[in-house]
Amino acid sequence: MTRHSLSLLLRNEPGALARIVVLFSSRGVDVSSLSLAPDGSGALSRLDVVVDLQPGRTPEQLVKQLGRIVDVKSVVDRTHDEALELGA
Amino acid sequence: MDTTGAGALVKALEDVGCEVIFGMPGGAILPAYDPLFESKIRHVLVRHEQGAGHAAQGYAQTTGRVGVCMATSGPGATNLVTPLADAYMDSVPIVAITGQVARSVIGTDAFQEADIRSITLPITKHSFQVHDPADIPRVIAEAFALAVSGRPGPVLVDLPKDVLATATTYTPPKLVLPSRPVVPPVQVRNAAQLIGSSKRPVFYVGGGVIRSGAAPELLKLAEKTGIPVVTTLMARGAFPDSHRLHLGMPGMHGTVPAVAALQRADLLIALGTRFDDRVTGLLPEFAPHAAVVHADIDPAEISKNRKADVGIVGDCRDVIAALSAVLTRRTDLTAWWSYLDGLRATYPLGYDWPADGALAPQYVIERISTLAGPESVYTAGVGQHQMWAAQYVKYERPGSFINSGGAGTMGFAVPAAMGAQVGAPDRTVWAIDGDGCFQMTNQELATCAAEGIPVKVAIINNGNLGMVRQWQTLFYDGRYSNTGLGTHQRHPDFVKLADALGCVGLRCDSRSEVDGTILEAMAVRDRPVVVDFVVGQDAQVWPMVAAGTGNDEIMAARGIRPLFDEVE
Repeated sequence: MTRHSLSLLLRNEPGALARIVVLFSSRGVDVSSLSLAPDGSGALSRLDVVVDLQPGRTPEQLVKQLGRIVDVKSVVDRTHDEALELGA
Repeated sequence: MDTTGAGALVKALEDVGCEVIFGMPGGAILPAYDPLFESKIRHVLVRHEQGAGHAAQGYAQTTGRVGVCMATSGPGATNLVTPLADAYMDSVPIVAITGQVARSVIGTDAFQEADIRSITLPITKHSFQVHDPADIPRVIAEAFALAVSGRPGPVLVDLPKDVLATATTYTPPKLVLPSRPVVPPVQVRNAAQLIGSSKRPVFYVGGGVIRSGAAPELLKLAEKTGIPVVTTLMARGAFPDSHRLHLGMPGMHGTVPAVAALQRADLLIALGTRFDDRVTGLLPEFAPHAAVVHADIDPAEISKNRKADVGIVGDCRDVIAALSAVLTRRTDLTAWWSYLDGLRATYPLGYDWPADGALAPQYVIERISTLAGPESVYTAGVGQHQMWAAQYVKYERPGSFINSGGAGTMGFAVPAAMGAQVGAPDRTVWAIDGDGCFQMTNQELATCAAEGIPVKVAIINNGNLGMVRQWQTLFYDGRYSNTGLGTHQRHPDFVKLADALGCVGLRCDSRSEVDGTILEAMAVRDRPVVVDFVVGQDAQVWPMVAAGTGNDEIMAARGIRPLFDEVE
């Protein structure tokens, strides 16, 4: 398992969160923590999530699969940002 | 207020170019059926919603347009789940329209309520639930655009009954298709460099080439470079079978030269394909010496199963044209071709006749191919007959073979043939089906009879769930647990069943009658025809790469492993 922090901007549409969570579930991604909050205008929500990936699965792959979801406006892998913030 | 939500739905469907809907009415979707009654859109009333979904898939794949299916809420909608999953796996553009209970009772376990939007989350590109009738035209246009753009796939539109019934003002939708991604020139140059320096390249062609309409460009590029071509199950017809550069289908039941070409290649040029496990076999042993150029419209496919040395995100038509433009030098592939031609000569596709004098299923399919020809459309269910249809029908044009590749949905053939025939009324459509598959969806033959859709069905009746039986023979010591169907004892009698469904029923169990029976079936134009081809139960699909083994272990026939022995 490898741990990754992702940050997503979602359209604030019914079922948007469900789409993300179902993708995690169907692709075998373990969710460690998840936080959803309105972002600015209210048309978008920001989702910060920490996930564990099975061996052989890459975060790039997950980012691209999340990017296919219509309600996802952007996905960023912040794993290394966080490491920097923590001074690790 | 000039219409209702239902009126807006039907008008929007007309405006985005929908010409046929496969569906079945019921409580929640009923308002939509009223304006449909006088619409120019043809509605084909199916006998089961699963049939509507597969018919939409068959229609989409013969026409290249969006297939539309419609069902009511609850069980009507859940019956569409299998076709949606199938269309998602095989990237087929369909739009499913479902009724839903009224907004006020959503979430109360109302009669015929099912949360179809949530149920279909992992098997659709997107799913809408519309709460304002004024939004319906825009949502329909978005659904159509989503279904066909990028990597095609299924989209669901769920419409609560009261939204359909509410008065609204119609705003004509604008169908805005997103522009195709620009093919990055650097990647194309890198790919061209790899192609130019490779000694054993192969075009590994997938269904994306058919979806993007890139078959003519592929033919040009292959002829320009002289590089061998293999076409996956989803790509049969993307490159003519009669062409000397074509080595056939790779994968679990691929030809020896096609599998060898991938295994011995120093470069795979993968076009619109996803390195499915049925092609790669055991992944670490797949194409061990090959660099990989992988072009696909879906960025999430690139490096998913096999790391690409050069990944190109783009529509296959654009990518192939770009490669053609930069590839000038033709490399010397004499040694490569001499190896592959050797395999082609030594290990052609072939089969033995059953020792007990029973009819060989491969022969039946070979004769249908010869007599119906490459201008016909062929559909298949899933199992042995499907693999034989992939091997023994000779495909010369894209869209001529429609089957369930990724999902492996038994029962696909008959309803898909119905949709294909509606999309291509002037072509002969043959459903090559198994006796197991046929019993899952044959009720749609009543639809075909009633609607004047004259499909032809060849039941390759071996009395068993044949592919499962083959695995029991090979891997379970011949312990045939629950694979006998009793169809050789006429449970049911397919000729009588055909007759009862309003079709012509024929039976054939000997070699001398095969051609005559096929021609008799082809002569019927006013009704569907079902031919019960009674074949031997022990015929097996060869070649075979057993599940969980590497492609080098391909067996041309039981115990004959040409590539493995080559390595020894």
